[in-house]
Amino acid sequence: MRKIFTPILVVAALPVLAQTQAISGRITGTDGNPVPGATVVERGTTNGVTSDADGVFRLAVKPGATLVISSVGFTTQTVPVGSRSAVNVTLAASTTDLGEAVVVGYGTQTKADLTGSVAQLASKDVGNQPVQSFEQSIQGKAAGVFIENSSGKLGQGIKVRVRGVSSISGNAQPLYVVDGVPVVADNMSSTEAATNPIADINPNDIESISVLKDASSSAIYGSRATNGVVLITTKRGKAGATRFNLNVQGGYSEPTHKREFLNSQEYVTLLTEALVNSGRSATSNANRLKTYAGGATDPLTYNTNWQDQVFQKAPFQQYDLNASGGNEKTRFYFSGQYSDQKGILISNEYKRIAARFNLDHQATDRLSFGINMTATRSVNNRVPNDDAFSTPMQIVALAPITPSIDPRTGLTSGALDLNTGLPNATFPFYYNPLLNIQGGSYTTTIYRLLGNVYGQLKLTNDLNFRSELGTDVLNQNEEQYLGRITSRNSGPTNGFGFNAAQTNAKVVVNNYFTYKKMLAEQHALEFTLGTSYESGRLNGNSVTGTQFASDAYRTIDNASQITAGTSYTTSYALVSYFARGSYAFAGKYLVGASARIDGSSRFGANNRYGVFPAASVGWLISEESFLKDNPTLSLLKLRASAGKTGNQNFGNFASRSLFSGDAGYVGVPGQRPSQLGNNDLTWETTVQYDAGVEYGFFGGRISGEVDVYRKNTTGLLLSQPVPGTSGFASRNSNVGSLRNQGIEFSLTTRNIVGDFNWTTSANAAINRNKILDLSGPDILGSFLNRAQAGQPLGEFIGPEYAGVNPDNGDALYYLNTTNADGTLNRGTTNDINLAANVPIGNPNPLWTGGITNTFSYKGFDLAVTLVGVFGNQIFDGGAQYYSVGFNNGPDNQTRDQLNRWQKPGDITNVPKAVYLGGNGIGNSSRFVQNGDYGRLRSVVLGYNLPSALARKAYFQTARIFVQGYNLLTFTKYTGWDPEVSSDYVTGTGNNTQNNISQGITFYTAPQARTYTVGINLGF
Amino acid sequence: MKKILTGLLTASLLTGGLVGCNNKLNVQPVSSIDTANAFNTSDDVHAALIGCYKGLQSTSLYGGDWQLMTDLLADNGDEMFVGTYSQPQQAQRKTLLYSNSFISSTWLSAYDVINRTNNVLANLSKLSTPAQQSSVEGEAKFIRSMVYFDLVRSFARDWNDGTPANNPGVPLVLTPTTSISEASSVKRNTVAEVYTQIITDLNTAESKLPASNGFFANKYAAAGLLARIYLQQSNFSAAAAAANRVISSNRFSLNPGYADNFVSNSSLLANTSEDIFALQFSAQSGTNDLNTFYSQNRRADVEIQPQFVKLFEAGDDRKNLYQPNANSTYYTTKYDVLYGNIKLIRLDEMYLIRAEANLRAGTQLGDTPVNDINVIRQRAQLAPLATVTLADILKERRLELAFEGFRLGDIKRNQQSAFDPLTNTTLAWNSPKLVFPIPLREINANPNLVQNPGY
Repeated sequence: MRKIFTPILVVAALPVLAQTQAISGRITGTDGNPVPGATVVERGTTNGVTSDADGVFRLAVKPGATLVISSVGFTTQTVPVGSRSAVNVTLAASTTDLGEAVVVGYGTQTKADLTGSVAQLASKDVGNQPVQSFEQSIQGKAAGVFIENSSGKLGQGIKVRVRGVSSISGNAQPLYVVDGVPVVADNMSSTEAATNPIADINPNDIESISVLKDASSSAIYGSRATNGVVLITTKRGKAGATRFNLNVQGGYSEPTHKREFLNSQEYVTLLTEALVNSGRSATSNANRLKTYAGGATDPLTYNTNWQDQVFQKAPFQQYDLNASGGNEKTRFYFSGQYSDQKGILISNEYKRIAARFNLDHQATDRLSFGINMTATRSVNNRVPNDDAFSTPMQIVALAPITPSIDPRTGLTSGALDLNTGLPNATFPFYYNPLLNIQGGSYTTTIYRLLGNVYGQLKLTNDLNFRSELGTDVLNQNEEQYLGRITSRNSGPTNGFGFNAAQTNAKVVVNNYFTYKKMLAEQHALEFTLGTSYESGRLNGNSVTGTQFASDAYRTIDNASQITAGTSYTTSYALVSYFARGSYAFAGKYLVGASARIDGSSRFGANNRYGVFPAASVGWLISEESFLKDNPTLSLLKLRASAGKTGNQNFGNFASRSLFSGDAGYVGVPGQRPSQLGNNDLTWETTVQYDAGVEYGFFGGRISGEVDVYRKNTTGLLLSQPVPGTSGFASRNSNVGSLRNQGIEFSLTTRNIVGDFNWTTSANAAINRNKILDLSGPDILGSFLNRAQAGQPLGEFIGPEYAGVNPDNGDALYYLNTTNADGTLNRGTTNDINLAANVPIGNPNPLWTGGITNTFSYKGFDLAVTLVGVFGNQIFDGGAQYYSVGFNNGPDNQTRDQLNRWQKPGDITNVPKAVYLGGNGIGNSSRFVQNGDYGRLRSVVLGYNLPSALARKAYFQTARIFVQGYNLLTFTKYTGWDPEVSSDYVTGTGNNTQNNISQGITFYTAPQARTYTVGINLGF
Repeated sequence: MKKILTGLLTASLLTGGLVGCNNKLNVQPVSSIDTANAFNTSDDVHAALIGCYKGLQSTSLYGGDWQLMTDLLADNGDEMFVGTYSQPQQAQRKTLLYSNSFISSTWLSAYDVINRTNNVLANLSKLSTPAQQSSVEGEAKFIRSMVYFDLVRSFARDWNDGTPANNPGVPLVLTPTTSISEASSVKRNTVAEVYTQIITDLNTAESKLPASNGFFANKYAAAGLLARIYLQQSNFSAAAAAANRVISSNRFSLNPGYADNFVSNSSLLANTSEDIFALQFSAQSGTNDLNTFYSQNRRADVEIQPQFVKLFEAGDDRKNLYQPNANSTYYTTKYDVLYGNIKLIRLDEMYLIRAEANLRAGTQLGDTPVNDINVIRQRAQLAPLATVTLADILKERRLELAFEGFRLGDIKRNQQSAFDPLTNTTLAWNSPKLVFPIPLREINANPNLVQNPGY
């Protein structure tokens, strides 16, 4: 077949061939190894190909053409073709490629011209990791970008903070833009715990990530830029032979750490002591133990490690297949993924099927267009929130002397009484979460379509017009069923079902011009000017039902009684105009400016439009004659910027005084005031200053950046507490200010170059957050978290624990009141109500960072990433139950409680154990701990089969790898895991307390440690 | 030509975005409406009134937590909270923390309802007829008074404790909130001022409310609440008179069995002829938190102690509502109905008030104290008494109204003490620990509020 068609193709191609010359060549690194996948483009055109596994490329170019050859990790080279037909190129390895294109808002800039602070990450940083969402992969890899996975539950919300938190009541997550479309990133979970819509993006489709950190880079996103902007560019096809890539990996996860609780012997000893101390009789104590022990006379009959009942060794598997290629006119990238990860908590699972289709077509010399489209289905089997009695982790409250199988019935302890069908309300003493795993489920299914079409028109050689029409449609269905066996917790309703459906859809239209001109070889000008319109609408409804014929029926249509139904619709619109200009003189003096005007429906008519300008300057000193070609200092660039950004991440109708019609009473319609309005409400304004140095030594062997910044945020949109006597708890208003300031360092060194390569990339960031003014009362978060002027956001403010009175074992607290003479009263009290609330811990890390070492030798490669978070404190919200020597009930206790006070004279920090005695249970600094940790985040060891060998098996490339994730944690923290943020206090979208309630653990699951092995095949 | 085309295209693309942009920004809320549109019609005012009843139904108010918390705080060994929630546990231990979230929710929900009633009262003129205006005013004032009475009882010293004219009560807010200003940081009115307002409002309500009003508040609900308030003030003649107005109306009658007030064969519990005012619940409306906490079928968090069960005389029908489980732990079955109505004012309470008030005032308004008590006793299948003492009446009251939120008011006015057997703590009736703290969130938001002693 092929032979028959070839002549026809040749004939058809003749007119083209007449004007071109065919060239071929091989691209190698300085080590002589081939560079596969390098991009070879004819300068000034879109004509290009990619080198194959041997570094070989073939291309037809116009006479006199110049080739631009680039590849990640190498210095881009420009090679005039002349009359040659063979062009062999040796690329120098580089990590600070000034010619490298950096994706910025509405365009790209070269690294050399960049005057803003942008952290860049590439596909190798995010691909093929055993995580659900790409944010987890870039933890510790971008200076100043703090990422915290809330727990080891799968698909949960992930906190991303670019240069600190700049909002108290608003959402502090960055703006995510995928291929030009700001995407839906709203948490849509119907529970208090957030889920992560960003997890719908297949990390293996990502080509590059730019995190815009300073105002000059981000202000072009105006009222949504304060929290930083994360620009995600997906992979695109390159002209050349169609290449297939298959990745398969599998492995398993386990918890990073388990906490030590009392065993049966210790439990009986300590509980008995606490019961005796509370004045209970020996008979009643024996009866109690017998009850707990499932009726066994010897309370030591059973020794159940409840924690082990809910953790599992969880399998993980992931399959990726993509194809890319095309010709000069049309290029494509297709991909598909199936990923299935089980959770370390039993019944927890996250599955994703994702498909992507990216296509670019050059219709004429002037017109090109294309499409980027991804469709995803994700299924998340969730477990209850941290504060639910039914959540697996709360199983640790059960007594170790309680059997997991009740010997009297042979059923799981706490299962329904077969005679009455009623739950056992007293055994075990708390609801057994295993029953929820047996009889309950909560499944979130998301269908997502995200993408855009674009057209690009070359109006003149210098002026381009681009139009993008994007959409993001997220359909979510949540189905919950709680069977009869859960009725002690869910109510005696013969089953409980909940079903919620939501559609969150948005449309984005971007139109902009780009003008690029070089005048007199010295003056490089670039302008961007455009408009953007965006509107979004969220609507949803939910139904709750009870009375199911049997547990075999689990959907609402089988509920005999519908107990609740609701629906909601909300929408917004954003109209914007933006412009950016940059000017470079002689490639060394750089000036940039940008501005955006945003109009938003969220704010009152008085304050509907905002202007967000920014300006920046740069000086590429190493291009000056006195430094040019300096053998030591190869790169030195200074840059500075200032600008204004906004944050409008609030409820859509935050400014309105509202009534809601949801106050009906047993079927009679009713209404109520639901929100107190504020007509002057507008965005939060952040003015940010940034100064940076980019440096390189020894031809790029050592390179890096240092940035200092200050972000002053004013007009904080606070959900300000108001006197409850008004009938409202809070009101939105623009008051208060806060500041983030910090330093970011990044350093890359190529320690050894040659056959054996060793590169180190390190980054560190220090951020100091301080609330300057609240213009009103403190805003309370969960537990002891608070927003208080003069303190970092979320500072723990509460009574200061003073240890134990050696005479009687009482917990003591410092009064910390002010004496008449103005001095601090450091006297102590055993009444926690009398102790003043003082700052006792900061949940914000003082500094964060990461180090990645990569080694390669022959076909082997090894990458090791360490991350660290230091200087923060964690409040253990569950300690009041499990670390209080039975003073708050029979909950099993952590082993540190064995150090309790027993007799006068005992010196200890653990108060006297008194059953339900309330001794030391109040929230205080007693439950605050340092949360510093260093963690071996990932280790990947790979082996690339020699290409000759791979070819024998018809593969272009073949790589096998093993990887470990969260292998080791170095910390003094005694809880489950120091990377923690309890889901139920931070989850609900746009909740006042979200940003304040940091550093809380409350029966929160530890992170997962994962081991995988995998194979990548290219053919 | 090309340049012109380019320029035109540029201009049109840039301006094209602008046309109609301002309109696009006028996005209106769909799920809620602007306050300005909330009171356009007579029906709107009715709907706002219904919103007040809905507010009462909140779990933080009469949906159960308020009754539970005050009963536990006042308890002297009749019941034991064994659940995991620390908020009721603090009440049981008599060691309330000012951060107790049940208490701050009660405060917020109470003033939310008060603001709802104030909205209704400010819009009475929009009602279609004078009859509607009269009834709606009465209902709103009844609801507001009920909430204020329980606020002042919970968050301030008792009427009989010291000088009500000097003791700080709770802030009186009588107009709807439209904005927040300095004036929103209200001060606490005195206990006397709060009672005066309540009594004035209830007298208005009693005169304006219809005698019959479905399950909504009627004239006798207002009178019944007045009786309760006068009793709290030890104004016995007024208490007896108010209770007598209810009883002598002959619109209500005791159920044949005491259990008829609490027991049902379904998940619903209807109003009965004995109910003067009850909160309605259904599978779709409200959560009965008394069911959640008390019922053995639910959390089974409150164990009834032998001390209480032993108080019943042999054959007392009411004892059947206290049943032991296999471990001989007693629970009350008063709240076993999942979506049961919560009975707030019943005829039996009126007999008890009239009996006590008459006895203490030395009057016989309506009937003699002994006859009134025998009405209660005979319904409980007990032999009538020949004579009755105050102690007899108070004991009947304790048994008849047990675990319904009466205990804290009763021990204070009768100067009894609360006791926690676990910690061996006895607290006198006027102990500051038996007064709710002003919630931390409220002190934080309003510097003009003075905290109660001991917090």
